[in-house]
Amino acid sequence: MGDKVFILNSGKVSLNYEDIETGQEIHDLVKTGEFFGVKSALGRFVREETAVVLADSTVVAFSVPEFEQLVIKNSRVVLKMLKVFSNQLRRIQKQVQNLIYAEEHINPEKGLFSIGEYYLNNKAYDQAIYAFKRYLVYYPSGASSSEAIKNIETAESYLQKYGSGQGPDLSPPAAQPIEADKPQKTKELSDIAQSYYKAVSLISQEKYDDAYNEFKAIVNSSDDQEYISKSQYEMGRCLFYVKKYDNCIRLFTTWIQKYPKHPDLKDALYFIANSHEAMANKDKAISIYKKVLALTPESESLYPKARKALRKLEGEKA
Amino acid sequence: MSSFNQMFQRFSKSFPKGSIIFCEYEPGDNFYLIQSGRVKIVKIIGEIEKTLDILNPGEIFGEMAILEEAPRSATTIAMDKVQALEFNRANFEIIMRGNPQIALKLMKLFIKRIYDQKRRFMILTLDDIEAKVADVFLMLAEKESQVARESDTIEFKTSIDDIAHWAGIPPAECRNVINHFSQQRRVELYSDRIVVKNINDFDRFVKSRRKTKE
Repeated sequence: MGDKVFILNSGKVSLNYEDIETGQEIHDLVKTGEFFGVKSALGRFVREETAVVLADSTVVAFSVPEFEQLVIKNSRVVLKMLKVFSNQLRRIQKQVQNLIYAEEHINPEKGLFSIGEYYLNNKAYDQAIYAFKRYLVYYPSGASSSEAIKNIETAESYLQKYGSGQGPDLSPPAAQPIEADKPQKTKELSDIAQSYYKAVSLISQEKYDDAYNEFKAIVNSSDDQEYISKSQYEMGRCLFYVKKYDNCIRLFTTWIQKYPKHPDLKDALYFIANSHEAMANKDKAISIYKKVLALTPESESLYPKARKALRKLEGEKA
Repeated sequence: MSSFNQMFQRFSKSFPKGSIIFCEYEPGDNFYLIQSGRVKIVKIIGEIEKTLDILNPGEIFGEMAILEEAPRSATTIAMDKVQALEFNRANFEIIMRGNPQIALKLMKLFIKRIYDQKRRFMILTLDDIEAKVADVFLMLAEKESQVARESDTIEFKTSIDDIAHWAGIPPAECRNVINHFSQQRRVELYSDRIVVKNINDFDRFVKSRRKTKE
């Protein structure tokens, strides 16, 4: 850790360091009258260079406050240093940028517009108006310029009518805070969720074959385990409703093995028991209904359903 | 400072509370010195407005504009009624000559930036993705090093997205690495923080990966 800044009065001093890009050892000679050790002293960092005396030399060492006093009185020095450091900063920034080229480069036009959209959706109308107006300044005939004008009008009228932070939701998903660490996934999910609910509504319309195919498509195209397990469960239901009991039992049996801890497990068992009952496999149906009862709290609506079915079967047997 | 403020009053601009001073992606060659009020630096990441920093009177922002003609990398919003001196590339040198105090402040800011970028470079040049992630934790720990450390366990108020950003890797990959660390009981993952059980273990791990590379 360095706390001194040096100036070379006479002699020969070399600053030795490794180039961060190539790992090559670099030797920079310090000119007489030049400062060295500035960065680590002012920034209180570990020294990054080794200063080696190559010939008898005299240096003046300054403490940080002494150095600061000195440069404040000498704007020429501080300006010169600013130039050196700004060049260094520019260089290292370029090196870092080269390494992270993989990070998507958002085009500034789209970026600026999306900032406006963000604030508009979050009812921060002043901020939205600023961003859209700047957009129009820089991109007066840009791809989204007419939309920007429309959005400014909307923002201005909402600001007047409702005030900042108030007003109707323009884009419900964006207006609600979403878990910060997976914005991308949320978008993907909503697509899956959409197809899933579309298929669920097909069941309620009793279009079981269509629903089955929709769920199957979700299972085949998605990698979201939550929706895959839900969709497979619904496929089992469809099979039950179209009276393909064999297939239904097979599907739910595999499903249970795959998701033994799924919250819908007992419902799946209920469908298996029901299928056995429909196929007149009374004993199997009874034993599985018993399992359902063992797993289901009495408070759940499934419990009386399973109990009723079980009593009926046991009554028939008796 | 007050005489300075008088001298440069013609550069002074006022921003109402809540207004944007400049917006991410906007081109710009002005930079600012806050005279009064606070300025919030935010970035919209995904669907979230993330506060990167809050600046107080006497602090400088937008200074990168004098270095390069790149779009703004963040949005700045006035948290109070803000009074700030607005400079540009053309009057930069005049102002720095007129007030070396600001030049010194800017110099320190550049020094810090150079160090941060170098540190980031070191992370990015590691080949091993697990080492990259571990090194991000080391970097974050270094930033907090002023506080005397009582144990090897350190709590980071950070998210997987932040770590992924620093490591220059996709968030999904970063999540996998951190889950793996979690299975190995090297970290504990919470919704608002990540706890590293033994920072020295990460230090040794990163060092070994850096050596094998050379």
